[in-house]
Amino acid sequence: MAEEIQRKLQKELEVLSGVQKEYHKAMAQKQQLDSQLNENKAVKEELMLLKKDAEVFKLIGPVLVKQDLEDARQNVAKRMEYINKEIKRTDTHISGLENKQESLQENLNKLKNDLGKLKIKA
Amino acid sequence: MATISSAPAPGMQQIDLSKLNLPQLAQLKQQLDQELNVFQDSLQTLKMAQGKFVESGESVDKITPETKGKTILVPLTESMYVPGTIADAENVIIDIGTGYYAQKDIDGARDYFKRKVQFVTEQMEKIQMMGIEKSKAREAICMIMEMKIQAQAQAQAQAQGQSQSQKATRS
Repeated sequence: MAEEIQRKLQKELEVLSGVQKEYHKAMAQKQQLDSQLNENKAVKEELMLLKKDAEVFKLIGPVLVKQDLEDARQNVAKRMEYINKEIKRTDTHISGLENKQESLQENLNKLKNDLGKLKIKA
Repeated sequence: MATISSAPAPGMQQIDLSKLNLPQLAQLKQQLDQELNVFQDSLQTLKMAQGKFVESGESVDKITPETKGKTILVPLTESMYVPGTIADAENVIIDIGTGYYAQKDIDGARDYFKRKVQFVTEQMEKIQMMGIEKSKAREAICMIMEMKIQAQAQAQAQAQGQSQSQKATRS
């Protein structure tokens, strides 16, 4: 009986460590998205400050290509929208993982208690 | 930043430090140590960025209307330059991020770099404040850990003293 619980405990531990790894990955992704969002915000502000006739270039490979100011502004705005959506998605993913972690931890604790009780009886 | 959130999230509760036992306190201290390290690294990076912006601002100052037509060396690769002349001493093209470059006049460029330096300085100050809070929390944890260790040592000494006196009375 104790061995069965031991095995269950082991499996639950493995699942928990898997979930934790996923959680760390998701957090790292969220941070990256956050920093991208900030960078795009800064670019948007700069583009807003430019006068209508100012020239904007985009770096495509080794070439600076001239862009239309309005096009560039819209481009950056669209990119920011996309990043915001990605951030929301990642946030829900992260809270899902947090909940999973909590319930797995509870299961683990219960199994540990059961195992402890069995050992005391024996 | 670290995987541990450094700002109080709405889901976090206040933990009474004196209720935690020693291993938990040690774990918390380690967590704070990690966070402080991350802050130090961020401050370093920000300082480098600040330096670069200041340098760029100073370089812009060097391109005055008098330099128009002067010969310069233009880098083609890391180790190869070609001679050229300054054609336009009024405008510069600045990297504003995410692959975009904007053309600005000298004053606009100087202003841009000033703003960037200010922005970076503000971020550095924010991080410094957070770092101070974290080190205060860490110190508090160290103090409580010491108190607990002392209390434990005292309790042990008392228990030993008691068991010894019991032995003495029995014999």
